[in-house]
Amino acid sequence: MTEWWDKQIRRADELIPKANGSKELLTFYAQLLRAQKDVYDFLRSRQNWLPSGELEADLRMLSVALSGFLKIVERHGPAPLAAEAHELSQADAQTIAERMLSYWRSPSDIQFFEKAFLQPYLRWVADSGAKPVGREVSAGERYCPFCGGNPQVSFLQNKETTAESGNRDLICGTCLSSWEFRRVVCANCGEERPAKLGYFHSPEFDHIRIEACDTCKHYIKGIDLTRVGFAAPLVDEIDGAPLDLWAREHGYTKIELNLVGV
Amino acid sequence: MEVSRRTFIKTTLIGGAGVSVFGFSLAPVYAQTQGLKIARTTETRSTCPYCSVSCGVIIHTLGDKAKNAIPQVVHVEGDPDHPINRGTLCPKGASLEQDIVNERRLLKPQVRRPGSDHWDDISWDDAVNEIARWTKKTRDETFIDKDKNGYTVNRLETIGWIGGCTDTNELNFLAVKTMRSMGVCYFETQARV
Repeated sequence: MTEWWDKQIRRADELIPKANGSKELLTFYAQLLRAQKDVYDFLRSRQNWLPSGELEADLRMLSVALSGFLKIVERHGPAPLAAEAHELSQADAQTIAERMLSYWRSPSDIQFFEKAFLQPYLRWVADSGAKPVGREVSAGERYCPFCGGNPQVSFLQNKETTAESGNRDLICGTCLSSWEFRRVVCANCGEERPAKLGYFHSPEFDHIRIEACDTCKHYIKGIDLTRVGFAAPLVDEIDGAPLDLWAREHGYTKIELNLVGV
Repeated sequence: MEVSRRTFIKTTLIGGAGVSVFGFSLAPVYAQTQGLKIARTTETRSTCPYCSVSCGVIIHTLGDKAKNAIPQVVHVEGDPDHPINRGTLCPKGASLEQDIVNERRLLKPQVRRPGSDHWDDISWDDAVNEIARWTKKTRDETFIDKDKNGYTVNRLETIGWIGGCTDTNELNFLAVKTMRSMGVCYFETQARV
């Protein structure tokens, strides 16, 4: 899984020089990925310790990695995030625990620190074979089967060797796991009528598209790995931020905001 | 950071730029958004008509749903969620788009006269009239009402019908009714789905 983080970082570094409007977002995200990888590596390298999947029990170990994480956000983040990172670095353990546990029980995409810091933890929970415990999350086809989180991004990838077309998977915004999802279905409300599902595409972002639903007015961005096989969906999704603004201008709401808040 | 998603959307849209929920300036992102050429496509699940395997396909149609715009098929691919083909298509199915959009498709009737080495354009009215005339002449001359044992058979063995795989249900219904009413026995279609 360390290689997975390296791939995301490499892709972000590749895209930064080419990026136009999203350069600042990608620059920050590349640093955030490094901070997340540090958290993941820290947890993974603990001897005689494996996560239980119950955040309350694991928080003591996890908190050790928080100060380094906050420093990176404070150094590279925009003013509001930097100020909040500074504030959190001064906060007592109880305050931190309350915030983390509140997110754990009821996740929200506008809680940056909780979401960003717990992503590598949940990743390691998944990789180590444990299961998250004590989360009040919905179950169903459109939720992550591992942690119950909302989908962050979808991607198309060939799974059948002789197929030209791509199978669709969703990536969880909470634990970064991916799961299979049907192609012509809204990832938010399950709408299947073709006339209600719009796919918006721009030549400027050849492998990225907006997958929108006219029934629930929500959308998710889709990354087509059959066109650009070396793309990293979470990173390319941030590069395609101009498409998010276009979607919002046209009345669609994103299912799950990403870690730069678009 | 007490910012609701609704507030965020408002701040993003008012004045075009604004900041993201986490404080990033979206002005450069918005500037790029203004130059985007966005096209809307629809994906419709369907079934390949060519053979009895009945592979699932996804048809991509370009069009913004405007009343005066004609949707245009731009791509056909195998349906990865279909249990039969799981996204794969044979070479014939993979060329399905050309069955729908093809500049070499005939748009008017043509006729090749006896002894001629080429096809001539013909109007729809003339084509229908000629077909009707030849059909009636052939039927009148060769219709069999009784067989050699005297049983009534009412059949026409000198005309046959071959249907294509992309013929619609409605066309096939009319073809059966028409051919059977004339007594045509040699009736076949390639449609298998």
